[in-house]
Amino acid sequence: MSDGQGAAIKVIDAFDLDDELRSLLKPGEMVLDDRKRRHRLPRYFYEVPSHEAAQAIRLTQHFGLNEFILVDLRETERLQQFPRYIPCAVRVLAFYLEQFRAAAGASVHVAVNGGYRSPMHKMSTHATPHMWGTAADIYRIGSTILKTKETIEKYNELAEDVAEEIDVYPYGHVTGNTADDHVHLDLGYITVVPREISEDRMEVPQEAKPRFAFEERRRKERRSAAESGAAAFRPPPAG
Amino acid sequence: MTLAAKLPLAPPKDSVAAAEVSLYRNVLKIKQEHGLENLGIAFWDAETAIQWSYNADFYFHAASTMKLAVLLGVFRQVERGELSLDSAVHVRNRFTSIVNQEPFMLDLGRDADPDVYGHLGKTLTVRELAYWMITKSSNLATNLLVDILGIDTIQKALDELDIDGIRILRGVEDQAAYDAGLNNEVTATGLLKLLRLIAEGKAYSKQACEEMLNILLDQQYRSGIPAGLPEAARVAHKTGNISTVHHDAGIVFLEGRKPYVLVILTQFAAEGGRGTAVADVSRDIFNTLAGMLYE
Repeated sequence: MSDGQGAAIKVIDAFDLDDELRSLLKPGEMVLDDRKRRHRLPRYFYEVPSHEAAQAIRLTQHFGLNEFILVDLRETERLQQFPRYIPCAVRVLAFYLEQFRAAAGASVHVAVNGGYRSPMHKMSTHATPHMWGTAADIYRIGSTILKTKETIEKYNELAEDVAEEIDVYPYGHVTGNTADDHVHLDLGYITVVPREISEDRMEVPQEAKPRFAFEERRRKERRSAAESGAAAFRPPPAG
Repeated sequence: MTLAAKLPLAPPKDSVAAAEVSLYRNVLKIKQEHGLENLGIAFWDAETAIQWSYNADFYFHAASTMKLAVLLGVFRQVERGELSLDSAVHVRNRFTSIVNQEPFMLDLGRDADPDVYGHLGKTLTVRELAYWMITKSSNLATNLLVDILGIDTIQKALDELDIDGIRILRGVEDQAAYDAGLNNEVTATGLLKLLRLIAEGKAYSKQACEEMLNILLDQQYRSGIPAGLPEAARVAHKTGNISTVHHDAGIVFLEGRKPYVLVILTQFAAEGGRGTAVADVSRDIFNTLAGMLYE
């Protein structure tokens, strides 16, 4: 991927970022979704050097990278400063949005807070594909502001028809009845490992000493689970 | 017995007491002429130090005067470094009722503030939201700010500055809360205290007060207090109107003298219409002051 002027956009392993950024992006950490299912947060990000670059970078013909990093004061201040970071899976989302746009026959506007949200974003109360860069909240399609049940359901159906991988939230998904103002579509928890990356460092490194405390903690948990599993297993008596 | 016969006789014209009695007589007259169910007035003049009130501790439905408290809450957070006026806020039309936690949307046709709802899905800064909340009484901007601040913070801002007589429970157009009888309420005394602190530069800092004043001076609805004043008067104020109330609360700047703070709260029967009672009281107070100063 390039910045529009031919320069490649850097892909980074978030484990290599400084302590503050790592603590905000939480690469590789496990989070629970609203049904208590565990999901591992993305680790590979595009590094967006400046606002100008974000505007110049095209993910597809009609979707620029800038649209997916628009946030307001609910995002941590540090993550609003450039260089900004966005999970590499965002390019997959842009691909599907392009198809959705073609089906809608009108421009599709990803809203502020409607693209990538970090785990520290105030709307990230549990795991959602927004934290993987694979969800979009759309408040306007063409000149239509999505504020009625009919309009939102119409575009929900359209999105589902575009591809089976696309999931949408039903109208009024917060409480199941009233007052919705956008179409949410997502692709689930997709993690992208760009070809530029060499996966020579595992989440639990091959070296004797884990790099982070959580890696050590997790290794102990796994070992202890394995040991208790072994203790519980009794081979059938011979004969 | 006629109304005039019930009123106290006017003392000598050149005394403050005379002015106060004259005001009292005129206010009762205005109340009767406009068929007001309730009228609350609070007045404080920085030039003469005169303070005068009528029914000033009576609680009225706040209508949009509650936005003064929200403005105060914004600057509390800014002064504490917990909010920046330049921070971007996502403009969306979905809020949560304080009663049942159900989401609700504002009727944007009623709000008539394209400056804000034209940005749906985009952002406005905290400063812009505060500006439209006051100058065009934008309900959408108000609820967005209430969401950011939290009701508790707004009430805390009032409590910390010892402003009694303003009760903030919710944002605007929360129908479920309205149906449950949960409304924001204000007294003339409470609003006067709030505005006086701003006028005197005592609400957080001089700079914060100046910023609040500048916003209030750009008020675009001028049928209340300004309508009773000479054209040259500058008024930093906030109106409040719903079907049965019409309020205005402001700081009046006149050439060559210190400002005065005036709060006029009116309540009338639904079929009565709001009329010009607020402007009439404003005019009467101005005339009384002018008489005292220039007689």
